[in-house]
Amino acid sequence: MSCPFALLGFPRRPLLSDEAIGSAYRKLAGESHPDQSDGDAERFRELSEAAAILRDSSLRLRMLSSSPGGSLLPLEAAQLFPQIATLLQQADNLIEKQATASNALAKAVLAAPLKNLRHDLESTLNQLQEWRTSLDRELIEIDLRWPEHDPNSMSLLADSYAYAGRWESQLKERKLTLDCF
Amino acid sequence: MIAGIDLGTTNSLIGVYESGFPTLLADSEGKRLIPSVVFYPETGTPVVGREGLRMQALHPERTVSSVKRLIGRRFGEEETNKLNGPKGYPVTLPVNGQNLTPEQVSAEILKRLKAVAEERLGTTVDRAVITVPAYFNDAQRAATRRAGELAGFVVERILSEPTAAALAYGLDRLQENARVAVYDLGGGTFDLSILRLDNGVFQVLSTHGDTRLGGDDLDEAIAGLLLREAGITTLTPEMKVRLKEAARASKELLSNEESTIVLLPFMEGSTSLEIPLTRTQIESACGPIIARTRAHCLRALEDAGLKSEELDQLILVGGSTRMPLVQRLAAEIFGKKPNLSQHPDEAVALGAVLQGAILEGSLQNVALLDVTPLSLGIETFGGLMNVIIPRNTTIPAKAGEMFTNAVAGQSGMKIIVLQGERELAGDNWTLGSFEIPFPPSPKGTARVGVQFSIDADGILQVLARDTPTGSEKIVEIQSAVEVSDEAVEAMLAGSLEHAFEDMDARVFTEARLKAEEMLPAVEVALEQLGSELLASEVLEIHGKSSEVQAALESKETVRLKQALAALDNATQTLATKLLEKAMG
Repeated sequence: MSCPFALLGFPRRPLLSDEAIGSAYRKLAGESHPDQSDGDAERFRELSEAAAILRDSSLRLRMLSSSPGGSLLPLEAAQLFPQIATLLQQADNLIEKQATASNALAKAVLAAPLKNLRHDLESTLNQLQEWRTSLDRELIEIDLRWPEHDPNSMSLLADSYAYAGRWESQLKERKLTLDCF
Repeated sequence: MIAGIDLGTTNSLIGVYESGFPTLLADSEGKRLIPSVVFYPETGTPVVGREGLRMQALHPERTVSSVKRLIGRRFGEEETNKLNGPKGYPVTLPVNGQNLTPEQVSAEILKRLKAVAEERLGTTVDRAVITVPAYFNDAQRAATRRAGELAGFVVERILSEPTAAALAYGLDRLQENARVAVYDLGGGTFDLSILRLDNGVFQVLSTHGDTRLGGDDLDEAIAGLLLREAGITTLTPEMKVRLKEAARASKELLSNEESTIVLLPFMEGSTSLEIPLTRTQIESACGPIIARTRAHCLRALEDAGLKSEELDQLILVGGSTRMPLVQRLAAEIFGKKPNLSQHPDEAVALGAVLQGAILEGSLQNVALLDVTPLSLGIETFGGLMNVIIPRNTTIPAKAGEMFTNAVAGQSGMKIIVLQGERELAGDNWTLGSFEIPFPPSPKGTARVGVQFSIDADGILQVLARDTPTGSEKIVEIQSAVEVSDEAVEAMLAGSLEHAFEDMDARVFTEARLKAEEMLPAVEVALEQLGSELLASEVLEIHGKSSEVQAALESKETVRLKQALAALDNATQTLATKLLEKAMG
């Protein structure tokens, strides 16, 4: 596949505007959609894939870092992992019980544990948000120094974004389910 | 000319693009809405539409309505649990001694629409765009396509309903740049799609929904209410139909009035019924059902990466959105007043017409970028699902996976394809399976690339590519269960005989599961708060628990159900105290 940056008309750099990517994608993809008279299915797919890469900080950085990544574990990820893993397991457990609880009493028994779970999910999500804010700061700094860069720290940043993003969406999903009970 | 068709759960419509305008076509009575009801007379052709609806109360066993709730489904799914058949096999309906597929029934509706269009236009209409709920899975989309083909159409596109509605909305606003949510609550399905409209490009950002949630469920809730108010204990199939009709009529009336009296002449033999009903009562009954839409709305916003404040418009479509309750709830979920500019029954059909116009080039400078609603993946060792194409990926999309042989000389490998968001393969929906043949080779050296391709209809095609030779071929996906036709007939015949026994066993199992959940909960609750109850209350709870235990052992369904109800009653105070404690 050709360079995703070039395909969408962007310079190869760490920091890109989400809105600008979306706008460029819509224009180009709209023109090449297979339904259009001069559509091109292959180009359309390439544009869609390119947009997906550019919009995801982790994938975008990995494209630039030329380092395969995944070999070093970001410190914060290592610290958060046990907490997140336990929380996810607890959440799934309680959600399963709440979903199958068919009478008032069974539900009432779960009320206190669910309240604690909600609280834990919120506080962990806050931690993840703080982590992400610090990652964004780092991204800006790397962008300022660009094209000078340290492949290893870029790779670590890419991995950090990947962990943070994945855990955030996993926890948010559970929180949403709880909110809708 | 490509017609646009809304094949709805309750009503269907057809239209064409004429002189730059999307126009819906009316039948000989001037009606654009054709009820999605098919009546099968003992001899002769099926009757579709209002005439079919009239026959339903007289011959419910030979009339099929809401067939959209069954299309693409299999026996054993929640939606088909009132039908008997071999689990996993495509569902069929017994009518007039035949087993009809939902595709066949839907095709009758589509044939009628075709006839209406051809009569109005005086020309053959054999190309169409047909809409489906955004959340329809692969089988449901493919089955809808087949229904179209059975009716004599070349199906140019299977289009998602909220996307169609957005197209209808955005047609007059093509210069705009806006973020809109489409809340589509139809007869049988609910979809929430979030789109970005940007200078003629309609990009779906995310979509979520429930293909088992719609107006039919609201009608059932209201029918249940009427049943209780009237004190009716037994229902014939004919009575059921009349009750459901009365429920629907009163639901529609109470969208404009605050109260009404439901009249059911000669409902029970020579007894006529007059049941007073208020809007407040039906909102009470329907509230919990509509509340289920909240989670899908929030998930769609989450996936789109947007907050509700960032939306410019909340567009409501689907007949059920006429209910004040639905409008209030949608407004509350999104924190904005809903946009009711689109005709709830017609917007989707108009959108389908516009998609047809785009495909044939009559409508220029408009592009639809739609998405696949469900993650696509395969089952891996350990029974997990490995996602290959994530949900909300823009379509057409493709992704490849490379497979190799685990042992020397392995002749092939079976891949099970899944759709869904759960981690365990078994919790997701099985699309089907296919075999990859390996050339004879040492362990780990065969290289077969498999390409998963989701087309613009949202339907999967699999291509296998033998890397050394470069040869490619379309891989046929086998449906989840392979059973011969004779075997199926035998199973269907046999299962009807056991229907009654199965029913009782099912009810007992449900009650047993309830008891197994309740008894430990009671123990825990008593441990935590038993000291705050009166001794007499605790004694009563123990007594009722023992009765549940005894009823479980006796295996008597009615006894168990009564014992559970009594225990439920006895633990009311306890439950309330627990909740108070948790909140405080």
